[in-house]
Amino acid sequence: MIEDLILKLKKEIIEELNVENMTPEEVDADAPIFGEEGLGLDSIDALELVVLLDKNYGIKIQASKEGPKIFRSVKTIAEYILEHQKK
Amino acid sequence: MKFTLIYPKWKKLRGQTEFHLPPHGPVVFAATLPRNVEITFIDENLETIDFNDRADLIGISMMLTSQVKRGWEIAEEYRRRGMKVICGGIATMLHAEETSLHADAVFLGEAEGRMEQVLDDFRNNRLRKVYDYRTDFPPITCVGTARRDILKRQLYSYKGIQMVDLFHASRGCRFDCYPCCMSFVGGREFRPRPFEKVVEELTTIDNNRLYIVDNSLSQDTTWEKQLFREMIPLKKKWCCHPIDDDDEVLDLAAQAGAWFVYQAIFETSEFIRNRVKRYHDFGIGVEGTILLGLDRHTEDSIRRLINFLLEIELDLAEFTVLTPFPYTRAFSDLQGEGRILSYNWNDYTCDQVVFQPKQMSPERLQQLYDEAWKTFYREKSQPYRMFELFERVIDKEIADGSFQRKPRTRASRKFGRGEM
Repeated sequence: MIEDLILKLKKEIIEELNVENMTPEEVDADAPIFGEEGLGLDSIDALELVVLLDKNYGIKIQASKEGPKIFRSVKTIAEYILEHQKK
Repeated sequence: MKFTLIYPKWKKLRGQTEFHLPPHGPVVFAATLPRNVEITFIDENLETIDFNDRADLIGISMMLTSQVKRGWEIAEEYRRRGMKVICGGIATMLHAEETSLHADAVFLGEAEGRMEQVLDDFRNNRLRKVYDYRTDFPPITCVGTARRDILKRQLYSYKGIQMVDLFHASRGCRFDCYPCCMSFVGGREFRPRPFEKVVEELTTIDNNRLYIVDNSLSQDTTWEKQLFREMIPLKKKWCCHPIDDDDEVLDLAAQAGAWFVYQAIFETSEFIRNRVKRYHDFGIGVEGTILLGLDRHTEDSIRRLINFLLEIELDLAEFTVLTPFPYTRAFSDLQGEGRILSYNWNDYTCDQVVFQPKQMSPERLQQLYDEAWKTFYREKSQPYRMFELFERVIDKEIADGSFQRKPRTRASRKFGRGEM
């Protein structure tokens, strides 16, 4: 199930955040989402990501102490969604 | 009369996320030109200069030492094509003699009330080599609303987010900080602009987010409090240099839209720990400007300083290496001791060691500088910390109803490559 969610998230991030020259298959689910090693997202993208998670999953994330852990990789975001939706 | 005003490019701070703010000096200078002068402004950081475009007079505005060599090249290129060039700005003042070798004229000092004469001299072919008003400040009441209409607005947004506009409410600085040249440039007498002029200008700025570039707002507490009171109804959100550590001042600053403060940090201290906590207590963020390479800095003390920054939960850190800019106490000391290793002004970008440190080799300090960026941003990356600061301002804007959602269609735009 998490694999399906990870793929869905990759597609949504690429489309809604206008990530250029990258396909879902090319995104490493474990790679950092910020910086050049992985998706290469920046601070403005992070704002969009918060909006995306709220709009598509009803999850509200405020920048907080747990924020960096959630926003570590596509996989950690997927894990947070699954954990949050179970409750 | 056609006047082309150029802002030369420079190399940005290594380690820091690239950003481009609409420059302040050129728009303040433009306000000193008569309204019948047709101004074309080119920010070379974001645009390419077409030297074939003719103008009656070329102005080169330079703020930073790291701009001057490029500014001289530009001046020479225009002069080869038969156009007259005048240079001005802070860096022209710091490098006046060298600059005068490359330009037809240099303007030193503040331009309000002086440009009619300069232009008249130009028209009558009697342009002077040097206009020196360095110690002759015009009345502060002469400072008009900056000409932001000369900016190409679309260049200063990133992914649809408009960069902060720069604004000043005062000139002069009563402090004389070790690495700073502002006491030479603007004098040590604090010169606040009249509040009505400040408010008048603020209301003309089509941007809710500002950078108040005054050297320090902590110059006169009574003035500072009144400034914030005047700003509260405008609902602007802004960053600035230090604010007084006083309950009433900090509360008024927060009400007036203080978003975050740039705080210079040289060492670990209870003063800094408390200062950062106090800003945070009032909902104001702190970006530290961290200076490395003072004579008392050892390898251990620099490492302790970096850990201290994480401990006090600084929001952002901008690391710089001590750089001996001309007319600073740092320059006098290091030059006097024969410790300046490079006078190549292109190296004066604040991320390169251009002097002999006291407690280590230049190479070691350079390594520690790079290590500082990596260590501070290891757990929380720079984009993430910037995102947190953005959330802070958005929360403030939502709270007072001033938040404006960016248009989705502009989301993919990068600096200098967008469309209107």
